[in-house]
Amino acid sequence: MIELKNIEKYYANKGVKSYILRHVTTSIKAGEFVSIMGPSGAGKSTLLNILGMLEEPTYGEYHFMGEDVTALNERKRIELYRNHIGFVFQAYHLIDEMTVAENIEAPLLYKKISSGERKSRIADILDRFNIVAKKDLFPNQLSGGQQQLVGIARALVAQPSIILADEPTGNLQSAQAEQIMDLFKKLNEEEKITILQVTHSEKNAQYGNRILNIEDGVIKEDLAVAVR
Amino acid sequence: MFKLNLKIALRNLWKNKGYTLINILGLSIGMASCILIFIFINYQMSYDKGYKNGNRIYRVVSEWKYTDGNDFHSQGVPRPLAAAMRNDFSQYLEKVSAIQGGGGIIKVNDAHGKERLKTTADVFYVEPDFFGIFDFKWLAGNAQALKDPNTTVLSKKMANRFFGNWQNAVGQSFNYQNDINYKVVGVIDDVPENNSIPLTIVLSYKNYKSKDLTNWSAVSSASECYVLLKKGFDVSSLDAPLSKFLTKYYTEKAPGKESHNFQPLNQIHYDERYGNFAGSIMPMKELYGLMVIGAFLMLTACINFINLATAQSVSRSKEIGVRKVMGSMRKQLIAQFLTETFAISVLALLIACVLTEAALPSMQNLFGAKISFSMLQNPVILVFMAVLTVVVACLSGFYPALVMSGFSPALAIKNKIKANTGGLGLRKVLVVVQFAITVVLIIGTLVIIKQMQYLRERPIGFNPSAIAMVDVPNDSISVQRYDALKQRIMQIPGVKSASFCSAAPSSLNNNGTSFSYNSSKDADFDLNTKMADENYFNTFGLQMIAGRTLSKSDTIKEFVVNETLLKKLNVLNPNDAIGKIMRVSRNFSGPIVGVVKDFNNNTLRDAISPIAIMSHKKTYTAIAVKMDSKLMMQTMKDIEKTWNSVYPEYVYGSSFLDDVINNYYQSEKIMGILFKVFAGVIIFISFIGLFGLISFVATQRTKEVAIRRVLGASTFELVKMLNGSFLLMVFIANLVAWPLAYLFVSKWLNGFAYRVDLSIWPFVLAMCISMFITLITVSIRSYKAARANTIDALKYE
Repeated sequence: MIELKNIEKYYANKGVKSYILRHVTTSIKAGEFVSIMGPSGAGKSTLLNILGMLEEPTYGEYHFMGEDVTALNERKRIELYRNHIGFVFQAYHLIDEMTVAENIEAPLLYKKISSGERKSRIADILDRFNIVAKKDLFPNQLSGGQQQLVGIARALVAQPSIILADEPTGNLQSAQAEQIMDLFKKLNEEEKITILQVTHSEKNAQYGNRILNIEDGVIKEDLAVAVR
Repeated sequence: MFKLNLKIALRNLWKNKGYTLINILGLSIGMASCILIFIFINYQMSYDKGYKNGNRIYRVVSEWKYTDGNDFHSQGVPRPLAAAMRNDFSQYLEKVSAIQGGGGIIKVNDAHGKERLKTTADVFYVEPDFFGIFDFKWLAGNAQALKDPNTTVLSKKMANRFFGNWQNAVGQSFNYQNDINYKVVGVIDDVPENNSIPLTIVLSYKNYKSKDLTNWSAVSSASECYVLLKKGFDVSSLDAPLSKFLTKYYTEKAPGKESHNFQPLNQIHYDERYGNFAGSIMPMKELYGLMVIGAFLMLTACINFINLATAQSVSRSKEIGVRKVMGSMRKQLIAQFLTETFAISVLALLIACVLTEAALPSMQNLFGAKISFSMLQNPVILVFMAVLTVVVACLSGFYPALVMSGFSPALAIKNKIKANTGGLGLRKVLVVVQFAITVVLIIGTLVIIKQMQYLRERPIGFNPSAIAMVDVPNDSISVQRYDALKQRIMQIPGVKSASFCSAAPSSLNNNGTSFSYNSSKDADFDLNTKMADENYFNTFGLQMIAGRTLSKSDTIKEFVVNETLLKKLNVLNPNDAIGKIMRVSRNFSGPIVGVVKDFNNNTLRDAISPIAIMSHKKTYTAIAVKMDSKLMMQTMKDIEKTWNSVYPEYVYGSSFLDDVINNYYQSEKIMGILFKVFAGVIIFISFIGLFGLISFVATQRTKEVAIRRVLGASTFELVKMLNGSFLLMVFIANLVAWPLAYLFVSKWLNGFAYRVDLSIWPFVLAMCISMFITLITVSIRSYKAARANTIDALKYE
């Protein structure tokens, strides 16, 4: 599903190149649950951003579902991630001025989905996440865990084939974090959604089935997680 | 504390250079416009001030009411009025004086009897009492000497010009109109320019000759009368004696009902119904209009300020929180924010001064007035600027200061303050107000431009191009040389035709008189008379619709009338009028021989008058020369040479009819230019304000924009989202502005007898202009925001 070949990313400052990523080559198959781990500043988030097409690599090739992403124009790229990628953020990044239901509806609006279809999908996902009662609340009226639930619901409502999650539990208490991670695992196993998460926590990484360890921009380890 | 405040204020301004620039730019342009308007109004309001008895001085003016509802006003009074009033009102009036304007040729000889100077100049015949009413400063001599005939008083400037030095002017003499020698008996200081009576050469009233000196039914606008009310009397106490006065002297029956009014001195410069000797009138309503425009300009600039300041307040919430936690009182915070506003206002004022100085020459040009930006000469300007700064600072600084200082410290420190606390609703209202003002000005400008174009292009019934109006003297000796003059002018190559006349078909100089048509009874309206010889019609290209033009004659023996006269007399077929006998001014009668197609005899503000054209050699004052437009320059020189050889003792004067007619619309032209300039300024101010606001909104919504991008929004969709509310606001502003603009322009257009139809187009155009500029302004910034790097905005908080 994802093929990375020799991905490099650096910032040139007064002639000095500071590398974020070096020679990253890997592939991720559909249905995997991959955790990217590593110390702060190792380049985890940059890698995730590149995978999410929010950033462009300085060098290298990136094939997403068989298409060369670096060669695509902006419109095509937007088209791609509209249809295939869902994002989940550490700070949730819900739009404060919109209610829970409206936040979940937002990506559907950009996919030009009819209003009836939108309503049924939102109702469906609210139901699945058990947050029907919260649908008219604003994000600041929810707890962190609830906000992240909404964040995941928003990512899922567009029915992506892959979810990119940047420290999804970083801002949460452990009980809430467990709940979220269980949800991810369930989504991965039951709905065969590919999940890619960046995390600091060894415990969270164990939910997945593969761990990429990054240090100083280089993939040091690529481990499979033993099935518990 | 203040010093610290100031330091922090300046640092903050420097930190937000973009907003500071927008604020200062908008404010300084608004302030400069205000200062210019103030200087101009201040100058206009200074007219006729500074006389000791100023509040007791009145001018007697005349008014005629006609049965058809028209009335007519003149600053002139019948010539015997001054003497009669002095007699009948002695109980109420301290002093009464007639003043008669005139003009002619002045010759000054040097000690050896050789001609030193020959010039035409305006003169005033004045009674000695005049100087009892107005306390002019005497440099030499006194007013009493003026009671003798053949005496004159000069202004310092004139005395210097005639005799080299005013100190030795007294006792010398000059010749006036090749007739009488006047002896200088006094010198007065120069009358300032802001005066409605520009006295330069004063002649003894005893020398004034006119056949109408005892005639109560003839009024010239050059015969004015001033009175000084006795102390302790109110002008209303004159009403009763005045009505007695009117019945006593106006015994003859005339078509119009005469009456007189006492016009206070301080109204003379502002009442457009009456003229004055200085020829400068500034109607109060135009000054008010300017004041309103100035206030609007200031308001839009202040709105920018408030909008940007409240918008910015969010980014300063942390500072406010910290200050509050440290124990700052709300008052102190307000003081700090006001210090900042003051710093901006003062900076803006400095730039405004530079702008004012730069704009002053073109302003002087536009108004033809000598206005100056000298604060030493006019300390009131300084006061105005101080007041302006304080008002601007308070108006624009107080609300943001109040909002910001009201933040709750706990929330503020956590950066939890939302922009909406700054009153987004209020900001929207302010933007709507700002744009409503802008749109009103745009519509006004469009309509004025259209009306001016209409006036320029409207056919006026004759052809004024390439016609020179050359003055001719009309004393009995000069009249005898008319034929020779015309003959010689006609021989000049490039001259097509020439005609002696009292005035061009369109002229500000119109004579009204009573008349009768086909009966012995006078008609109930006045007839406008034009004296002209037989070549008048082909010289000006007037078209006949019945009968023939005038035949050659030196005296009044037949008439050509216009369509309007026939319409007013209910004569439907022009041919019916031919041969009917008309009697004009009770003395002259003759048949109507032709009917001329209507032409505009006035400015296009007024409707066409009923007119009769007749020949009367004694009353011609000009010869109209139609030239070949290609040879005009040379022809004009030849005409002047010829004229000077025919009238060596007179001074040549001429004007082009085109210029004269264009000058009718001087005030409209000024108004048009003012509107264009101020509309430009206000558009500029509004749009930089808008740019500031969208910049802020874009920054504030960066995160939202980024999230939406991640959710799959395209750049176009994001720009659309950011622009939407602004376009809606400007649209609402248009809806608010339309009725206001309609009221304003339809009122202005009502001042014209000939005007464009008020269509929907200026309104639609104004809307398109405002929406289009808004779209561009806003899109520039929102496009940038929509294209911004997504991940920067989504970094962890």
